[in-house]
Amino acid sequence: MSGIVIFAVLILLMLTGMPVSISLGLTVLVFLFTMTEVPLESVALKLFSGIEKFEIMAIPFFILAGTFLTHGGVAKRMIRFATALVGHWHGGLAIAGVVACALFAAVSGSSPATVVAIGSIILPAMVKQGYPTKFGTGVIATSGALGILIPPSIVMVIYAVSTNSSIGRLFIAGVIPGILLALTLMFFTWAVAKKRGYPRMKKASGREVWTAFRESIWGLLLIVVVIGGIYSGIFTPTEAAAMSAAYAFFVSVYVYKDLSLKQVPKALLDSANLSAMILYIITNAVLFSFLLTSEQIPQSLAAWINEMGLEPWMFLVVVNVLLLIAGNFMEPSSILLITAPILFPVAMKLGIDPIHLGIIMTVNMEIGMITPPVGLNLYVASGISKLGLTETTKACAPWILVMIGFLILITYVPAISLWLPEVLMGPA
Amino acid sequence: MVNRFLDHLEEWLITFLIGAATIIVFVAVVHRYATGFFTGGIQDALLRINLSWAQELTIFMFVWMAKFGAAYGVRTGIHVGVDVLINALKPALRAKFIVFGLLGGALFTGIIGAFGAHFVWELMHTEQVSADLEAPKWLVYSCIPLGSFLMCYRFLQVCWSFIKTGHLPHADHGHVEGLDKEAEFEWAAMSSELHPKDSDITPADVTKTGGRK
Repeated sequence: MSGIVIFAVLILLMLTGMPVSISLGLTVLVFLFTMTEVPLESVALKLFSGIEKFEIMAIPFFILAGTFLTHGGVAKRMIRFATALVGHWHGGLAIAGVVACALFAAVSGSSPATVVAIGSIILPAMVKQGYPTKFGTGVIATSGALGILIPPSIVMVIYAVSTNSSIGRLFIAGVIPGILLALTLMFFTWAVAKKRGYPRMKKASGREVWTAFRESIWGLLLIVVVIGGIYSGIFTPTEAAAMSAAYAFFVSVYVYKDLSLKQVPKALLDSANLSAMILYIITNAVLFSFLLTSEQIPQSLAAWINEMGLEPWMFLVVVNVLLLIAGNFMEPSSILLITAPILFPVAMKLGIDPIHLGIIMTVNMEIGMITPPVGLNLYVASGISKLGLTETTKACAPWILVMIGFLILITYVPAISLWLPEVLMGPA
Repeated sequence: MVNRFLDHLEEWLITFLIGAATIIVFVAVVHRYATGFFTGGIQDALLRINLSWAQELTIFMFVWMAKFGAAYGVRTGIHVGVDVLINALKPALRAKFIVFGLLGGALFTGIIGAFGAHFVWELMHTEQVSADLEAPKWLVYSCIPLGSFLMCYRFLQVCWSFIKTGHLPHADHGHVEGLDKEAEFEWAAMSSELHPKDSDITPADVTKTGGRK
């Protein structure tokens, strides 16, 4: 009962347009003052202890690394490499865009950053080459979503932290779904391009591919630092994030020299701004889930679902529908932080693998990124292409269907997500 | 005058905290592996440097950055809400909701600031110190009242300027920094065969047939 009231208050407050973090906090305060007997002082303590975990610090570090990479010419060289690889296929430049997004996603943990880094270079080029702006915008906005599926991923760190799962395992689990999604997007791009006769480029010689590879090697090495470092146990995920921030700084400022030292404080400030926003939502979400737990809401929901005799596959349908709807209105970190504490215990009771659930939720968040009205990728892509938001949305619509097909595949074939971590890291 | 000083202090503090924290973790990791790598005198010297406090210090720095960064975020308008519904309203009504939201923010941060201040006040009468750094706990935790009160002040400031000018700070997620510069992709640096050629599809074709020939 109190669960319904809590969520009613939360949704009401959120609909007033108040920041999500503040809505969460005020909901908790309303309950503390009126209904429960939780000591008020413990709230202040929770505000500190909520983010007093070394694992959470991976988020600011990954954001910082992403900022350096976006401005640091890494994207440019990855596009050159991708173009040399696949430019001669039907719709070569568009497919190269997908490949470049996948490569950049492997060094950056955020989707909008991927769209900015790759899209701002490749979209104008595509238009110049004769692609319709709408097609290009759709491809890039959708491929940018790979940013949170291919590790490192800020969304995965948030899921891992709020459910006490292993960040490393989750990262490894994202590798195969990420590659699979990239291949799927490449295939559809190729098919459409072939049908409509979009331009191809001349095949690059082996030497050209090699040169492009050598130039982008500094960026590609970052994949080795993050994934290799975490997998081999050299770094904890947070250390890997800090190393990649330091490495990205070094490459951007001293190797590629696309970022001057004078711009560094601004990059730091921007990253701090974004990190603080996410960390603030996390603190208040910790308060909120503390309220939920003290009211025994996840437990009673789990018991209720057990009584109803809901099968795991039905539960996953419910999860997907719920997250897809939420994805239309909120940004990923808030959705995960609000829903994970409730859905996770139920899923555990139904015997769903925590890592598999994490990947399902991440793919849901990807779709949320390209659905209006709150799809961040849409905003970024429309900023680059100068198409209006409505046009950008229409451009992405066919891709949303592809993504939903992919989501169903990921949901009902757990092996895609779970095989690699089991082979590499042993059974959970 | 006071405001400008506060603005600079805030920006300077969070820039410093995120930068310094990165350096500390980097140095700690390098130190850990360097200790295993070298032998003899260098190893002894390295072993004498104890960096076990690095992790705790990083956490404290980031919590401080999060508290003051959140206040800075109010000023840059980065705290996002669900504004779909209110954006569909008439401007006058929408403005009322915005003021309500901002005041809600001020209320929440004000209450948390007061809780925090009370909490820190009680800690000051104890001898509690943190595990590794042995820093007094009240000092470490004082970021809660300081950051929250600053954030409360920022909410009131933004609210006041919204009522007066109708203007809100807005972090434009669609804005792409350095776009014009980036757009000048140096295709020239690539082999001429790889240039996006001006294909034989004319702009007219693009508009008429969606790029089909």
